[in-house]
Amino acid sequence: MLVEVENLTKKFGAFTAVGGVSFSIRRGEILGLLGPNGAGKTTTIHMIMGLVTPSAGEIRIFGLSLRDHREQILERTNFTCPYVAFPYRLTVLENLNVFARLYGIAEPRRRIAALMDRFRIGHLKDKPISRLSSGENTRVGMCKALMNDPALLLLDEPTAYLDPETAWQVKEALLEARRDRGMTILYTSHNLFEVEKMCDRIVFLHHGKVIAAGSPIEITQSILNEEREEPALEEVFMRVVRGAEA
Amino acid sequence: MKRHRIEAVMLRHFYEARRNADRITDMVYWPVLDIIVWGFFTIYLTNSNRIRPDIVSFLLGATILWGLFFAFQRDMAVGFLDELWSRNLINLFSTPLGVSEYMTGLILVNLLKAMVGMSAAALIAWAAYSFNIFPLLLVFLPFIASLIFFALALGVLVTGMIFRFTTRIQGLAWSFAGLLQPVSCVFYPLKSLPRGLRAVAWMLPTTHAFEGMRQLLGGQGFSLRHLGWAMGLDALYFCLAVLVFRRVFESARTRGLLVKLE
Repeated sequence: MLVEVENLTKKFGAFTAVGGVSFSIRRGEILGLLGPNGAGKTTTIHMIMGLVTPSAGEIRIFGLSLRDHREQILERTNFTCPYVAFPYRLTVLENLNVFARLYGIAEPRRRIAALMDRFRIGHLKDKPISRLSSGENTRVGMCKALMNDPALLLLDEPTAYLDPETAWQVKEALLEARRDRGMTILYTSHNLFEVEKMCDRIVFLHHGKVIAAGSPIEITQSILNEEREEPALEEVFMRVVRGAEA
Repeated sequence: MKRHRIEAVMLRHFYEARRNADRITDMVYWPVLDIIVWGFFTIYLTNSNRIRPDIVSFLLGATILWGLFFAFQRDMAVGFLDELWSRNLINLFSTPLGVSEYMTGLILVNLLKAMVGMSAAALIAWAAYSFNIFPLLLVFLPFIASLIFFALALGVLVTGMIFRFTTRIQGLAWSFAGLLQPVSCVFYPLKSLPRGLRAVAWMLPTTHAFEGMRQLLGGQGFSLRHLGWAMGLDALYFCLAVLVFRRVFESARTRGLLVKLE
């Protein structure tokens, strides 16, 4: 297993954001982390990146404990989320230069040029981040996320601000990275159709707990409690949220 | 600690300084403006025979060196605020960058910026007021090192406070060193302070640094006593600042503040 999360818990005072979550991700797998707002998806990702210290539980990545090997793990990991910004006065190229250096990339110019080409933002290289559209900013985030050719990629709603054509490009790039280099991806999105198409397995979180785990079709059958031939995650999602409200 | 990551932090702030007019203003404009005002003031005092020449030298020297101290402390905190204002902390700390590498990069780049400001002020003092601080820098070096060390401790402390209390207390970045100026005996000797404040002043490395430099300029020789106090207090405050910083950083991770700071 590339990622093993055991009994992961995060409490903020009396509030439990994540309560005893366990799951694992195989090498080369795309795992979707689903759930309504406040389910604990982002907190789980933040704990996997070492940005938030868990209240209890254990995270092992590449067979190493995150608590003791944060630096080695993060050298081979990357992350992006459209809600996280870059220094807005710096240009696209300057920002990517900084991240290339942070990851110790051997030939940063070539790597950055290839990534900008891959996400079709070469023409934006001298533009400050503040003058980019949300979609352009998201594509810069994708360049940064693939900068170190990570073995594990954490994506928090990566296509949230993208038009369908650009979202398709991003998904293609991710599937290509998985196919060619065996990249493992942990993916959250509210675009359930996208999750159905992208993810091999799904962990469904609600109120900080895992309520179902399996392939999209297994999740559909388990939560809707009926035989289905096609996954129907949107229906699943509505059932969970409305069930909680009722 | 990895050198390439420290360089990345320096590069990030170098780009910021190049793109942000505020940073250029902070770096050069204020030190130059200060020296121009104090320069005219010393000309007035000299022309009216109200001041000894060594006092003129000291006023201008003190202006330049206080500028170095103030700029270094302020820029450490403002450098960190730049990450908060641009909501860049998650991007930075989701890389292998360690907090010690981040702080080292911030220290080095801001030391360079403070030196640029000091050099600009020193050149103006030399060109406009015939006050050449450069030969004195070597003699003053231990005291200047003490000022830099204390500015570093304050910068680390204020950055730690911002980690804990976020941008609600960002004004400290510009005001904290200023709070210490009246009791740091920058432009006047310790004995001119009210008796009650002297004990407070004695506990500041800045007081000993400026007292020591004043003694040197006044021909009273090098004061090992003041240097010893300055360095001892520096070490104490630096250790305290690092302890506070480590504690608030870990607390920010535990409380989830690192991903919410803005």
